[in-house]
Amino acid sequence: MEGPCRVLRAVLYLFSMNTAYSHYYDASSLFHGSLLNIMGTRLDAVFIETDKALCELVWQRVVAELSRLDKMFNRFDIESEIYSVNLRAATESVIASDELMSVLISCKRYHNLSLGLFDVTLSDFNAVHLDVEHQTISFSAKNVSIDFGACAKGYALEKVKQLLVEAEIKDALIDFGNSSVLALGHHPFGDCWKISIENPFRPGEIVDEIELRDEALSTSGNMPTHLKHIVNPGTHQFIEDEKIVSVVTQNSFDAEVLSTALMIANPEEQGKILAHFDHVLFREYIL
Amino acid sequence: MSTDKNTKQVDLELRQFIKNLGYIAGGTALLITVPWLQSFTTDKLSEIKNEKARVAILGTGSRGQYHILNLLRIPHAEIVALCDNYPPNLKAASDLCPKAKTYTDYRKMLESKDIDGVIICTPLNWHAPMVLDSLAAGKHTFCEKSMALTMDECKAIYEAYLHTDRVLYFGMQRLFDEKYIKGLSMIHSGLIGDIVGIRCHWFRNNDWRRPVPSPELERKINWRLYWESSGGLTTELATHQLEVSNWAMKRIPESVVGMGDIVFWKDGREVYDSISLTYHYRNGVKTTYESLISNKFNGLGEQVLGHKGTMELEKGQYFFEDVAPAPGILQLINNVEKRVFSTVPIAGPSWVPETASKQKPHYVIEGMVHTTSGGSMVGAENDGSDNLISAFCQSVITGEKAKDIVEECYSSTMLCLLGNQAMKEQRKVDFPDEYKIPHLKF
Repeated sequence: MEGPCRVLRAVLYLFSMNTAYSHYYDASSLFHGSLLNIMGTRLDAVFIETDKALCELVWQRVVAELSRLDKMFNRFDIESEIYSVNLRAATESVIASDELMSVLISCKRYHNLSLGLFDVTLSDFNAVHLDVEHQTISFSAKNVSIDFGACAKGYALEKVKQLLVEAEIKDALIDFGNSSVLALGHHPFGDCWKISIENPFRPGEIVDEIELRDEALSTSGNMPTHLKHIVNPGTHQFIEDEKIVSVVTQNSFDAEVLSTALMIANPEEQGKILAHFDHVLFREYIL
Repeated sequence: MSTDKNTKQVDLELRQFIKNLGYIAGGTALLITVPWLQSFTTDKLSEIKNEKARVAILGTGSRGQYHILNLLRIPHAEIVALCDNYPPNLKAASDLCPKAKTYTDYRKMLESKDIDGVIICTPLNWHAPMVLDSLAAGKHTFCEKSMALTMDECKAIYEAYLHTDRVLYFGMQRLFDEKYIKGLSMIHSGLIGDIVGIRCHWFRNNDWRRPVPSPELERKINWRLYWESSGGLTTELATHQLEVSNWAMKRIPESVVGMGDIVFWKDGREVYDSISLTYHYRNGVKTTYESLISNKFNGLGEQVLGHKGTMELEKGQYFFEDVAPAPGILQLINNVEKRVFSTVPIAGPSWVPETASKQKPHYVIEGMVHTTSGGSMVGAENDGSDNLISAFCQSVITGEKAKDIVEECYSSTMLCLLGNQAMKEQRKVDFPDEYKIPHLKF
């Protein structure tokens, strides 16, 4: 059986490989990088920068960092830390890395600030115990599992932002699967980046235009092909409304968490959640 | 034909065409990569707005008449003379432009002082004598492709070109075709990576014959079918595509192998109706060339294969090997390249891989749908021929030579003739040293 297994593993490896593409447009000093198969979606990066070599170097760092995070957050990858935590934390205290611990502490804070509507367990975050002193994680209930699907892209975009800021790339647009956009600086021929939001139920119809400058935009919503992918952790009901919500903040992680929580929240809850955050532009579109 | 509207049109098309090029990333920078266009900026066109090039058409068959129709719409052109030794074609041309004086002997026509430029659209075996006579008579000269029937004739034309103060053009219309210019500039910017191969083909399904009113006219009318007057599929079709191949590679192949046969049209013709050639560049890249005229399924095309993607120049589209950029991002890039600030239509619920089509084409020119099946024996519309002839007329007025056109035609014609030699002698043929000219890089 070893032969077929090895072949299967090789095939799986090929499918999981990130395919990266990049091109530098000299005349426009525009660098474009594309990364497919990353966190279940794709990422496109545009840097406006005259130093071509710097763009390529930063892009390599971005690809490496995203691949690292993809591996860390992928609960289906048997080699990932979160896979191990999900497998063992109900029966023992699992020692976690600094980074996983800090991400989960942030998630706990967001859980509280969002009235419990943002929940990486999708059911009962209170069953997740974070022992900061011993840096361990344990679950006090069976069938608890952590899924970073609703926030990993936001966290990753903050990491990408750090890489760009360190390299002093000032004008950049990062599109992470359309739902998460990070805009640094401005378009070369404008004073900001203008992004439009398309109605997923009526392709071509623009529901809004949003101007970003050193800000992140996160959009949550349903699509005709994916109506059941956002769940209310309290009621376990899918949110099936034909609507999308978008959130603009200075921090991608905040934006990502808020767009999910506000998609689930009723108007009263939305007001309460927003009161916990500063400088948030929130919009809801009933389609 | 409403003349006023149409008159303006070709002129405007050339202006708009140059203007469009200006909008492409760093217009000036791009113009440097297409030296033959540098004389045709809007400013230079306005300098000649009240002048007219007085041109003669030598050879008024189908291609000559095609040029006449374009010339009638060009404000800075005036057709003053027509010449053909086949009366029905001369009459047809004369009906199109009745004011033009008609000739049956081109040498007589060349004596006329009223002609500034001559446009030659005759069978291939007549190209060399007519081009040389026309230049010797002091006429600015445009000749259809290919350059000539033999390598020695090509060399003689090239030598004459080096020593003349007259303008000389050849009918390499892809040099004036926006989708080729932009597509090749994208290739040279590295969009599809390193060029690793080129595939060219031209397929038709017809016998390539013209009706012959009486048998003694067979070789005159169906000159394309006989070696004494034609190089067959190479000089008639491949010449354009080999020129594009060299344009992409920025060099010339050093050798060629190939096979040619008459597979289907066994009607007494001499030239092959099926050819398959492989041109070898020094860096190992090969251009394969296939043409046959008894199956049209594949039409015509030039595929430039890069390690990151594929450019289909004739279709004006390209594909990426692995990752297709998101359409919204591609739109952003196009607009930045055009220096336009616009909204980027990307935001929405998550993009999921199953909605992606891996081999989706991207277009060289936005909204461009103009392609040709390659079926016409005369010429396709909007293929650059009108811009080319308009540019020639401008050069006739200004006397300014266009760069590189003669060299491009020389090298692609040489490759056609070497391809024919390889097929006839069934061996690998190297580009002979004695026919190498300084412009060519191998």
